[in-house]
Amino acid sequence: MDLRKSRFGGLNFGRQTAQSTVGYLTRASAIAVIVILNLAGCSAEFGTSDRNGVSALGEPPPVGGPPLVRRLTESQYRATIADIFGPDVPIVARFGRELRADNMIAIGTSKAGISPFSLEQYDNAAAGIVDFIFAPENRARFMTCEPDADSDFDEQCARTTIEHYGSKLFRRPLREEQIARYLEQARRSTELVADYYVGLGLALRGLLSAPEFLFRIEEVDEQNPDSLSAFSKAERLSFFLTNSAPDDALLAAAESGALNTAEGLEQQVERLMSSSKFEQALRAFFADMLEFDLFEDLTKDAQLYPAFSPVVALDAQEQTLKTIVHHLVDQQGDYRDLFTLRETFLTRALGIVYQLPVPTRNGWEQTVFPEDSEYAGIQSHLSFLALHSHPGRSSPSLRGKAIREVFLCQEVPDPPANVVFNALVDTGGNTMPTARDRLHAHNSEPACAGCHKIMDPPGYALENYDGVGTWRDTENGAVIDASGNLDGRPFSSPLEFGEALRDHPETGKCVAERMYRFAVGRDIVWYEREYMDYLIEAFKAREYKVPSLMRDIAMSENFFTIDSDAVRYEGASL
Amino acid sequence: MKKSKAATLSIIAAMYAVAIHAEPRFMQGDAAGFVVSDIKYALGPDASETGACPAGMSKNVVEIYIEEHGIVRGEGETEGDFNRRVRRDSRIYSQSPEGKNYCSFPELAQPDPHFKTVQRSDIKVRGINIDGRASLNDFLDAQGNRGIDNQFFRVVGCSRSFQSEGLSNHFVTTMKTGAWGITIQLSGLDDIKNDNEVKVVIAANADPIQLSAARDALPYATYARSQDPRFRAETTARLVDGVLTSDPVDMRFHKVVNSMILERPLQQARVVATLTEEGLLNGYLAGYTPVEALYDFVYGYRSGKTSEGELSPLRERSANGTAFVLGHTCNGGYYALKEHADGLPDPETGLFTAISTQYEFSAIPAFIVDVETKSLNSELTPGRLL
Amino acid sequence: MKTLSRRRFLRGTMKGAAIGVGLPFLDSMLNDSGKAFAATGQRIPVRFGTWIWGCGMIPELWVPKQTGYNYTMPEHLKPVEGYRDKLALLSGFDVKLDGVPNKPHVTGCFGLRTGIPIPDRQVKAPTFDVLIADAIADTRFRSVELSTTGMQRSYSYRDAGSPNPSEVNPLALYHRLFGEGFQDPNQASFTPDPRYMAQQSVLSAVQEERRALMAKVGAADRQRLDEYFTSLRELEQKLALQLQPPAPVENFVMPEPPEVKPVDAEMANVIENHKIMASLLARALQCNQTKVFNVLFSDTTSNLRRPGVSSTHHTLTHEEPIDRELGYQREVAWFAEQSMFAWRDFLDALDSIPEGDGTLLDNCLVLAHSDCSLAHAHAVEGIPVMIAGNAGGRIKTGFHLAGNADPVTRVGLTVQQAMGLNVETWGGLSMATNRTINQLLV
Repeated sequence: MDLRKSRFGGLNFGRQTAQSTVGYLTRASAIAVIVILNLAGCSAEFGTSDRNGVSALGEPPPVGGPPLVRRLTESQYRATIADIFGPDVPIVARFGRELRADNMIAIGTSKAGISPFSLEQYDNAAAGIVDFIFAPENRARFMTCEPDADSDFDEQCARTTIEHYGSKLFRRPLREEQIARYLEQARRSTELVADYYVGLGLALRGLLSAPEFLFRIEEVDEQNPDSLSAFSKAERLSFFLTNSAPDDALLAAAESGALNTAEGLEQQVERLMSSSKFEQALRAFFADMLEFDLFEDLTKDAQLYPAFSPVVALDAQEQTLKTIVHHLVDQQGDYRDLFTLRETFLTRALGIVYQLPVPTRNGWEQTVFPEDSEYAGIQSHLSFLALHSHPGRSSPSLRGKAIREVFLCQEVPDPPANVVFNALVDTGGNTMPTARDRLHAHNSEPACAGCHKIMDPPGYALENYDGVGTWRDTENGAVIDASGNLDGRPFSSPLEFGEALRDHPETGKCVAERMYRFAVGRDIVWYEREYMDYLIEAFKAREYKVPSLMRDIAMSENFFTIDSDAVRYEGASL
Repeated sequence: MKKSKAATLSIIAAMYAVAIHAEPRFMQGDAAGFVVSDIKYALGPDASETGACPAGMSKNVVEIYIEEHGIVRGEGETEGDFNRRVRRDSRIYSQSPEGKNYCSFPELAQPDPHFKTVQRSDIKVRGINIDGRASLNDFLDAQGNRGIDNQFFRVVGCSRSFQSEGLSNHFVTTMKTGAWGITIQLSGLDDIKNDNEVKVVIAANADPIQLSAARDALPYATYARSQDPRFRAETTARLVDGVLTSDPVDMRFHKVVNSMILERPLQQARVVATLTEEGLLNGYLAGYTPVEALYDFVYGYRSGKTSEGELSPLRERSANGTAFVLGHTCNGGYYALKEHADGLPDPETGLFTAISTQYEFSAIPAFIVDVETKSLNSELTPGRLL
Repeated sequence: MKTLSRRRFLRGTMKGAAIGVGLPFLDSMLNDSGKAFAATGQRIPVRFGTWIWGCGMIPELWVPKQTGYNYTMPEHLKPVEGYRDKLALLSGFDVKLDGVPNKPHVTGCFGLRTGIPIPDRQVKAPTFDVLIADAIADTRFRSVELSTTGMQRSYSYRDAGSPNPSEVNPLALYHRLFGEGFQDPNQASFTPDPRYMAQQSVLSAVQEERRALMAKVGAADRQRLDEYFTSLRELEQKLALQLQPPAPVENFVMPEPPEVKPVDAEMANVIENHKIMASLLARALQCNQTKVFNVLFSDTTSNLRRPGVSSTHHTLTHEEPIDRELGYQREVAWFAEQSMFAWRDFLDALDSIPEGDGTLLDNCLVLAHSDCSLAHAHAVEGIPVMIAGNAGGRIKTGFHLAGNADPVTRVGLTVQQAMGLNVETWGGLSMATNRTINQLLV
C-alpha cells in the first residue's frame, strides 16, 4: 500500500532503512534518508575492516547510544544468584511486573525503578539467601576461611568474603572505600550480635540490596569516553549472551584488558555462546519478544474453553521456548523456518487443547505436528493464539496486530477515541456468523478501515484456531475462510500464511533489529540505521542463524560504543 | 482482482478446506479412541413408581433384630445406650455362633427373608436383550416387549440404596477421582455410520481421567491402556446406522471402595452403543457377572486388596459397615444373587454361576496409547495395581 | 496504662558498651490509632491457627455463585455474614491424587496440611502449622491443640509417629493454660533484637553510596535512583519499629475455671464445649501463652450426633438418601450448617478480645478447612477453605476466590509466606507448587 495516499499522513509505517522499498517511506522521510546517506558518504569508511568478512557492506563507523542504568529482570536476578551461590538457594520474593517500554522489557529495564514494596521484597530475598548461605550445614561451601571464634570478628576473613562476593555481585571490583564501609558494618554487626556469621551475613545482605547489584550502571572508559569501561563491557556482554552476571573468567578478561582486544573479545564471545547458559539468553529474548508476561493477565471463559488452565498457559509458553531453542540452537536452523516448523514439544495438558495424542504422561514429549493437523509454525502455537484472543472468542484484530508488531516490526496505531464496538460483540448472530463477516462491517467504516485493512488479514488467516488455539472448521455453522493476502503474497490456509510470513522481507529484519535493541536496552538511534543494514545483511548471508546474529552484534564495534554527545546532553542539566 | 472472481475463489478455497477435513475430527485414520466419562448400573424405575416391592424394602441387621424381637427403648434408657445395645445384640444376624462374620462367609448363613427382590417381570427395565430370547424372567423393553436380561436389577430393585436417590449407583465418583477407568478403541472403521467389520479393544485405563475445573471429562486427552492382559478385551463389532454392536468377549475392570481395590468382571460382554458425529459413544455394556465376584464387589469385599496387592485389612469392617448403612444384609444379597443367576451354567451341576448385569455408559473422544505409564506419586503407592 | 514515650531512647548493654539508638522517624510512622504498629505486626504478635470441621459441605449451600468482593453470602455461610470483610472464601482447590488411592477422610485432610497426598496416616512431611510454629513460636507453648467432641484426634503432625495431641476436656485445658506455669506477659522484660540494629546500620551504609552514584548518571536515571534511595529509607524506618518493645497486653482478665459439663458428640454439648474452649484459647492467645493453635471442631469422620438419632453425621453422609426435592441430603446438611454456626462462635471468641486498634482476630490468620467437599463421595476436589483475620495487616480478605481445580497446596504455601516463612515452593509430588495466591497477600 502506498502510504503517501493514506489519510494518515503522519503514519510511521514500517522501519525506515536506507534499503527499504520506497513504498514504506513517506516522501519527507525519503528525502531525509537521501540527505543523511550523502552526509555519511563523506566521512564513512564503507567496506573497511570487516572482521567477519561476510557482509559486503562491512560494519559502518560505530555510533552507539547513551550509557544506561538498567534494572535486573527477575530471570537475571535469579540466574545471577544461582550462578554465584548455586541453584539450590531459595529466592523468596514477589517480583513486580516487568516494565515494557517501546514494546520491550529489555528497554523497560532502563526505565524501571525500585518502589518501596520492591525493595522490601529484594531485602526479603536477600535475607533468605543469606540465611541459607550461612546456615551451619552450608557455610563451608561458601566460605574459604573461618574466624578463630564464631562470636568474634575476623577482619581478614570478612574482607576476603566481602571482596569475593561483592565483586561478583557488583560485577566489578569494589573500591577500597566500599570494602571499608561494608567491612565496618560487618564488624559492628558482629559486635552487636556476638556472632561473626550473622554479622557478616548482614553485610552481605547490604550488598544484595545495593543499587550497584540491583541496577546495571553503565560507565564509560576513563581513557576512552566513546566506549564502555571494560567491566561495563563484560556486564553488557554477559547479560546479552547468558542473561546473567559476568562469571569469573569474563571478569578476569575485563580486568586484564583482554576484553578490549578483538581476540580477547572473540574468545569470551565464543566461550559464552557455547556454554549451557546461552540458551537462557535466547529464552529471555523470545519471552520478551513474544510478550509472555501478558499471560499474567490472561483469563479464558471456563465454560467455553474448559481445557484451558494455568497449567496449559505455562506449558504453552514453555512449548514455544523449547521449540525455538531446539530449532535455533540445537539444529542451527534458519530463523524464518520458525513460521513453518512442525517439530515441537508437547505435554498431555497441551495435547487436549491441540487435540493431539501425547504418550508421555508427565513432562515433555518431543514430537512433530502431524502432516494433516494444520499446526505449523510458532504463530500456530497456543502461546500466540491464546494470548492474542479475548476471554470468550478469538480475535483477528488482536492476532493481526500481534503478527504485524511482533514478527514484522510494523507499528499499528491505537484506535480512535470514539470507536463503536457493537457489531463485534454478537457472536451468536446468524447474519454475521464468522469474525470475518463481523469485521467486514467495520472495514467499510472510513475511520477504521485504514488500520484494520492492515491489521485484520493476518488475523483472518488464523481464524481456524479458536480463542485458545483449538482447530475449528466452522464458526457458528459457517465455514471459515482463511484466505487473504500478506502485503502482496496471497494465501488460502494457515499453512500458506505461515509460508507467507516466512518469506516476508520484514521477518528477518524485524528480529535482527529487535535483537539489537534487546542487547543494548534502548531503541535504535537514527544514526544507527546503517549499522542495522549491516547486521541485517550479515544475518541474511548467514542464512538467518540467530546465534550468528548475536555473535555479529557482540563482536561489532557499535555494541560497546558510547555516544559522547548523548552523555554531554544529559549532563548539561546537572 | 474483480470482486466476484475473488469471492468465487474464496468459496472454492473454503470448500477445499472442508474437503480435506471430510473425516470427522475424532477419527485418527481408521481408528477412534474413547474414554468412558460416565457409567452406572442400568436399572428399572424406583419401587415407589412401580409398586414392585409390596413386601417392603430390604433391611439391615439392626432393623431385622428390632423387628423380629420386638425391641423397644427402655424407660430411662438414653438414645446412645439403646443404639449401642441394638448394635451389639443384632450381631446374631451378622455372625455365626462361632463368631465367623457373615459378610466374609455368607455361605455359613441362611438366606435372609428380609432381603426383598423384585417379584414381577412386567416392568420396563433399561438394558438390552443379551441372549436374544424372551424368557419368563426377562423384563420389558421400552416398547413393552419381553426380553431384557437384567437379573441384577431383580436382586437389588427392592434395596433402598439402589433407588434413584440412593448411593449405590454412584460408583462413577471414584472413576472421576482417577482411581480406575475404562478405555475403548475402535479400529478398521471406514465409515462412522455403517461398517460391518470393526475391531474393538476395551481396556482398563492406567491413567486418571482428565477433568475441567467444572469436573467435566475433557475430550481429546491421552490415556494409556492397562498393561495387564487380564484387563484387556479384544473383539469384533458391526456398525449399523450409527449403532455399534460388539461380539461377546470377557472383560474385567476395577472397582475401588474405601481404598480397597476389587475386580469387576463381565463375561460374554457386549457393547450396544450409538456413535455420533462428534465422537460421543453412548449405550450399554451388558453381560454376565460371576456371582462370587459380584458378591465381592457389591457386598462382601472378600477379595479387596490394598494398592500393594495384599488383602486389605479393611474388608470385613467395610462390608459390615456398608451393609448397615445402605440397609441390607450381606447374606441376603448372596443368596439372592445365587437364586437369580441366569448365565454361565456350571458344566457339572448345571447351576447358573453368573447373573445378567448391565451398565449404561457415555464415552468421549480420547487418544488411547499402549505404553507403560507412571504417576508422579508412584513412590507413595509402591505396588500399585492399576 | 501504657505511655509509650515517642522519643524514648533505648539503652542496653552489649558486650560492655552502652548503645543508644535514636528513633527520629518514629513520629512519622506512628499514627494516633497505632495502626502503623499493627501493620508491621511487630508490636502485636501475629497468630496462626487452623480450625477443622469434618465431612465437608453441601456445594449448593456453601459455594458462592459469584467470585470477587460482591458475592452473595450462601445459605450455610449466613452465620458469618457479619465477618464478611475479615473472611476469604476459597473454593475449588483440590488435593491432587494422580493415582494415589484416596483413603476416605484421611488423604484429603493430610494432603491439604502436608502438601503430599498420602494413602494412609504415614505423613511424609510436617503439617504446615508445625512449620509455622517452628518459625514463629517464642512462647510458652509451641502450639495448642483442641478437640471439642471428646475425641482424642489431631491433624497436627511433625512426622509420621508424632501427632501433637489434642486437649479434649475444657477443665483440663484451663489448668494447662492458666494453672501452674502460667506466664504473665506484662512481667516479661524486653530486649531489642540487636540484629535489627545491625541491619539498620548496614542499610544506612548502602545509603552512603548515594552521592557517588548520582554524580555518575544522567538526569533521567538520577530520578530513578532517587526513587531507590527513598525506598531504602523507608526500609530503614520499618526496621526502626522492630526496636520498639511489643505492645503490653491490655484488658486481660484471668478467666475462671469452666463448669464441668458433659463432653460427648451430641451437637448441643459440642457447641457448648466448643464455645468454652474457644474462649479459653482466645484468652491464651491474648496473653501470649501461644501463637499457634489447631482446633478440631469435629473429626474428619464426624461423630457429631443429634439427640434421638442413632446415626452420626458421618454415617448419615453414606446412608441418607438424597432428598428428591432438595437435591442433597437433608440431615447431612443440618450438620454442615451447624458446623458453620460453630465457626461463627469461634470467630466471635477471637473478635471479642480488643487488641491494639481492633481485635485479636485482626492479628490472627485462621485457616478453616474440612477433609473433603462431598462427604458421600469422599471427594478431595474442591475442599472448602476459609481464611479469617487480618494477620496484623499482612493479608487481604473480603472476597471469594475460585480455585478452578488448582492444587490446594497453593493455600498452604501462601499462608506460610503470609506468616513470614521463607518458602518459595511447598508440597510434593503431584501437589508441588510455587504459585502464591497473590489475591491474599497485601
